[in-house]
Amino acid sequence: MNTTASSSAGDVRVEIDDVQSGALRPRPVPYEGKFILLRVDDRHAGRALLRRLLPVTSGGLPSVDRSQDAWVAVAFTYQGLRALGVPQESLDSFPRAFREGMAARAELIGDVGESAAAHWEAPFGTGDVHIALSALSSDTAQLDKELDRARVAYEDTPGVQVIWQQEVHQLPTGRTTFGFRDGISHPNIEGVGLPGSNPQEVPIKAGEFILGYPDETGSLPPMPSPDVLGRNGTYAAVRKIHTNVAAWRQYLRANTSSAQEEALLAAKMVGRWPSGAPLTLTPEHDDPELAADPHRVNNFLYREDDDRGFRCPAGAHIRRTNPRDATIIGDARMHRLIRRGTTYGPPLPEGVLEDDGAERGLVGVFIGAHLERQFEFIKAEWVNDGNFIGYPGEKDPVAGHHGGTGSVTIPEKPVRRRLRNLPSFVVTRGGEYCFVPGLRALRWLAELED
Amino acid sequence: MTATTGAPQSAQPERPGRSDGVCSEFTVFTKIKPGHADALREDLAAFAEAATDAKAREALRQIGTLHDARHVIFDNDTRFMFASVFDGSWDTYIDDFAKTVVGARFDKIFSHTEGFPGVADPGVKDWFVSQQEPAGVFVSSYPDLTVQQIWKDQRVDEAFEALLDTAEFRAALDNPANAELLATPAFQKLMEEAAA
Repeated sequence: MNTTASSSAGDVRVEIDDVQSGALRPRPVPYEGKFILLRVDDRHAGRALLRRLLPVTSGGLPSVDRSQDAWVAVAFTYQGLRALGVPQESLDSFPRAFREGMAARAELIGDVGESAAAHWEAPFGTGDVHIALSALSSDTAQLDKELDRARVAYEDTPGVQVIWQQEVHQLPTGRTTFGFRDGISHPNIEGVGLPGSNPQEVPIKAGEFILGYPDETGSLPPMPSPDVLGRNGTYAAVRKIHTNVAAWRQYLRANTSSAQEEALLAAKMVGRWPSGAPLTLTPEHDDPELAADPHRVNNFLYREDDDRGFRCPAGAHIRRTNPRDATIIGDARMHRLIRRGTTYGPPLPEGVLEDDGAERGLVGVFIGAHLERQFEFIKAEWVNDGNFIGYPGEKDPVAGHHGGTGSVTIPEKPVRRRLRNLPSFVVTRGGEYCFVPGLRALRWLAELED
Repeated sequence: MTATTGAPQSAQPERPGRSDGVCSEFTVFTKIKPGHADALREDLAAFAEAATDAKAREALRQIGTLHDARHVIFDNDTRFMFASVFDGSWDTYIDDFAKTVVGARFDKIFSHTEGFPGVADPGVKDWFVSQQEPAGVFVSSYPDLTVQQIWKDQRVDEAFEALLDTAEFRAALDNPANAELLATPAFQKLMEEAAA
């Protein structure tokens, strides 16, 4: 629980400049970005690409000068590390979930039915995805400059193919396709020098997010060998999620009798109002002024004032995926993630309730040093079940795969509300588990021999 | 936790084994007859199949004192463990068990272990006791609940949740004629559960 006192950050100094910017930095606001997936057909070509990408890949914290604030990150799937000729002994030292890949773990993390790996968009889950590049910036010109540098690197490297690209950008509303501001919460990581978004959060051990440092268990996270490859690296679960915005709006409309009720029901399912203001701080109505204040928008815990969820339901999306100090089974600090959601596709125009057939949604990047204990645990226990909050079988109203039979309990006096027959509002289009090495490790990979 | 049974006393003689509240643990370790491990494994697999499993569940429903049980082959196929948790003492209902499909299952399974006299044998309880190893620690998360109470709680909860979903119940809460009932601490306690 968050009340546990933590030792001072003094004894851990993270080599932050060796950690890729794409690992720890919060998503800028506004943002533009691109994801590029590559296949390596020849290990020498792959290494040549990495040598060209090295000067383009940035480490460390955000630049003070916002106009320079753009970064390219490089990540690898297990198949990618193999394709680069990483020695078997080293490959074997990676955790099982990473070695198997996300498609093999799809059922475990709730990607079933329409979201099953068999229906994923190519090249996700085919084994062809070897390298994932991502570029993100708050400035279009700056992003283009970085992307040009990256493009030169891969276009000049025969034997490496771009097999998928996805542009992402902030919608004009500044909100997700469902109409809610996101990217608000960021963990308070010890020894990194980046403030967390919740002033009340006791710092989380660096080893929960970066390999080579003690984690919340007091031990070092399991790290791939050799040491130079693992240190300052982390893992990213990358997912492309389609959002059924029309279904979302239809469900809200069908289960309410006024615009005000509709807004409240949507907020109860998300845990925040469209502006980002949390229900726990403003349970009756949206509060854009509170939402605009970076010191207040995420400054809350649950136990003292809202443990039973009369403001923010225990089953709401933001409370499930980050229960803070709420009463749950287990210890929430063991299951923290850095989340970086980025939107793709056009918004469904306001007021439209019919699906226009457009592809829209988010590319989500979920970062942490423990794929199984963090991303997979959160999906299996917190998003796709409700036993941990006393509602066995209930799923995340927004992110769960309900298949038309979902139910959601919303605490209310005198009698709780129970929504039934929820459809799925999201469909997984695909995903990959990636290793995001530190910069020294990237050089090690680039300089592999044979 | 208490060292011996804290459960309602039965007419049975006191047995070894620990209890926590109303339930007790019962674990036996037996020797598998040489060459019988595979046959035992096959019998267990057959019992785990859906059709036979349904019959066993029916019997468990009828007996209604068994929280859980497991059958384990271990020690390189030489030994067998049966571990279970019962309300009261394991042997309170053992005679009754023997008359159900569970009795036949026990007969079959333990026939692969050395010295088993058969469930119908008058000495069978003493044989079980001779194979029993009491737990060093036994703890339950619901020491006050018997299997019967758990089933009742489940029925009450399902009925209560269904009632909460009716418009008539909501109307009754708003009806001033019920104000006195609603104000009672007992009813308020119920409404605590209704709200979340």
